[in-house]
Amino acid sequence: MKVKILRQVTPVSEPYWEGFNYDGPPDISVAGLLDHLNYNDDIVNDEGVNTTRIGWECSCLQGVCGSCAMVINGIPALACETFVRDLKGNEITIRPLRKFPVIHDLITDRSSIHENLKKTNIFIREWQQSEDKDHEHQYLAAKCLKCGLCLEVCPNYVNGQTFYGAVFANDCYLVSSRNRNKISEIRKVYGEHFGGGCSKSLSCVDVCPMKIPTLASMSKLNRR
Amino acid sequence: MKDVLVIGSGISGMSCAVRCAELGLNVTLVSPFPSERAQSVMAAGGINAVLEDNGEGDTVLCHVEDTLRGGGYLSSEEEVKGLCERSGEILRFLERIGTVFSVDENGKTAKRAFGGQSHKRTYYCGASTGKQIVSSLIMEVRHFEAAGKITRRLWSCFHSGLILDGVCYGALIYDETTRKLETIYADAVVMATGGQNTLFGKTTGSTQCDGYAQGQLFRQGVELKNLEFIQYHPTTLVTGQKNMLISEAARGEGGRLFYMENGKRVYFMEDKYGEKGNLMTRDVVSREMFLVNKDIWLDVSFLGERLIRRRIPEVMELCRKYRGIDISKEPIPVTPSVHFFMGGFAVSLDHETNIRNLFAVGECASKYHGANRLGGNSLLAAIYGGMKAAEEIAGRAGDDKHPDFSGYAARQTQVLEEKGKTESRFPVAYIRDLLAETMQKDLGIVRNEESLDNGITDVDYYLENADRIQYDNSVMTYFNYSLTGILTLARAVLTCAKNRRESRGAHYRSDYPEMKEEYASSTIISYDDGVYRTRPEGNVGTSINTERCI
Repeated sequence: MKVKILRQVTPVSEPYWEGFNYDGPPDISVAGLLDHLNYNDDIVNDEGVNTTRIGWECSCLQGVCGSCAMVINGIPALACETFVRDLKGNEITIRPLRKFPVIHDLITDRSSIHENLKKTNIFIREWQQSEDKDHEHQYLAAKCLKCGLCLEVCPNYVNGQTFYGAVFANDCYLVSSRNRNKISEIRKVYGEHFGGGCSKSLSCVDVCPMKIPTLASMSKLNRR
Repeated sequence: MKDVLVIGSGISGMSCAVRCAELGLNVTLVSPFPSERAQSVMAAGGINAVLEDNGEGDTVLCHVEDTLRGGGYLSSEEEVKGLCERSGEILRFLERIGTVFSVDENGKTAKRAFGGQSHKRTYYCGASTGKQIVSSLIMEVRHFEAAGKITRRLWSCFHSGLILDGVCYGALIYDETTRKLETIYADAVVMATGGQNTLFGKTTGSTQCDGYAQGQLFRQGVELKNLEFIQYHPTTLVTGQKNMLISEAARGEGGRLFYMENGKRVYFMEDKYGEKGNLMTRDVVSREMFLVNKDIWLDVSFLGERLIRRRIPEVMELCRKYRGIDISKEPIPVTPSVHFFMGGFAVSLDHETNIRNLFAVGECASKYHGANRLGGNSLLAAIYGGMKAAEEIAGRAGDDKHPDFSGYAARQTQVLEEKGKTESRFPVAYIRDLLAETMQKDLGIVRNEESLDNGITDVDYYLENADRIQYDNSVMTYFNYSLTGILTLARAVLTCAKNRRESRGAHYRSDYPEMKEEYASSTIISYDDGVYRTRPEGNVGTSINTERCI
């Protein structure tokens, strides 16, 4: 099986594609595949030339930390939860998330997610029970990994601009449902940075590894 | 004091940062990656607390006694009391900042029973307590970031402490974006870097927790404690990259452990310990599995799909996703795995190490769990330790002067540059793999003098060669320079295990299977230019005899 990876040495260098051969079993995650390529003795590309190890980010390796978000066969996904056996065709393409600056190979700088939440004061501070008693919804919203997959797939999100995407909408919901005193403040920033810019393609819902009901978050925040 | 450097941004690091900020201190919170990537998000079970209105006769003293007993009485009453006395306050704090705890039918915060505890006192958030606490703490940190009291620094890895004459003045940090070392001076430094998974390769935890900080600071004169006590979790599902934890709930719901012999199932835990054999403590089950020395399965299929989906859906999903196993139809292949480290930096009641102004909190510190940890106490200790260190720091007078470490920083920069120039046939990853193999083999669930000596010989050999291994320029620089510290820590762990010639808690020696009075004390280990010295802490814990708790 061919594996094509979009690589980039430094944040400012040119990206380039490099191919690898994988002849191991298909019952392996893409994270496992990357480890296999990197540490199965020397790393050799598909032209038989020794090359450098592929940079990628991981921590939990079981879908709860969001580190290994990347684009696999055109679909944004977590590498540790995507299995070779489920991918179609004889070639796998892997590239870093496009909506964020590349640090090295498949490692991207997603700090803009946190920065956007910080500058709009998205924090609870004091739990004050609101009318929304949908505990399950709040629990799911708080499971957000900040992995950036929802932003990668979003047609409206551009890094550095004023539309902050589904990750922002869900945190807005979480704060407003946990602190009733912040509802009007949250609705205001939600309107400025999400409500007005979302074209409702809802592709964010499909790629969310935590299955957060973004549509329900939007519906509650839009309600008057 | 004014400026605090917190290294590590999981639950303990964030707890410390928040408390520092509340007390008016300025915090720099350093980590390579955002808090969402910390191992803390993987903590599933819950957090222990005794609330005044618990309605079940539970008391702080019962919690203290359970903790001391679970830890083989290696911790002192005084230190554990401090932890348990503030558990209610900590739970209320987490509720206040918006943590989404599970609630019962009356809307009250729900709690569950955990092993080894006299009362039901473990509060939880579904199957993701750690993640939910991380999410609320991130928001609280964010508030203080917006207020200018906490500054986060990402892509920043710990390199070494700025230590002179027993005092810490800051840390050297490697910035992976600029690829440079940077000196950060601070009035106090708090280490919150987690456990030591890398020593063992595959564990239940995060790849980011590698023990380097402990190993490096140990080389710089910081004492470590109780390294021999490593908790194994008996039921994990092995995948190519890690050991995934199969929650104790699977056995709690009636799951049965067995191996096959002559085509028949042997339910070895029930045969040896009776009806409730599968529910024995983690260390006992792990040890029995090791001694059986056969492939072992956990069967829950008799519960039926409907009950499994309702009671242990996360176990069902994990097995399906990672191994294609339908647990309603077939048993789960399970293996014990390294899960938690009771040992780490030796710290005072205020979480200060033997180096002044250098503190340690969370799993990288050794304080409350003694020879074994109770479920639900790690999250509590992580938050309490962070708060306690912050309060001590805030109460101290600062000193604007510090020695000049620019010469030290320049020398370290030169070392990194020289090592980075040549590519090696044997990259650091190769030695890391060898180390994991050695530690799994020689420092397993059951140890003996011979295996520990073999481990020490191997690790000494890796250490001798560590300085000759050239750096692999295509991986993070941290991954390269961390090798010597990691190996040094491994050597210290093996030494502690060798010198404890008894069995206690999670430390089991086949050549010394009994607990001995002469070892009823924690182990302190120090390092002096290649010499590893252990001594008893001399702080012997005893039962506090709260009859109601038995």
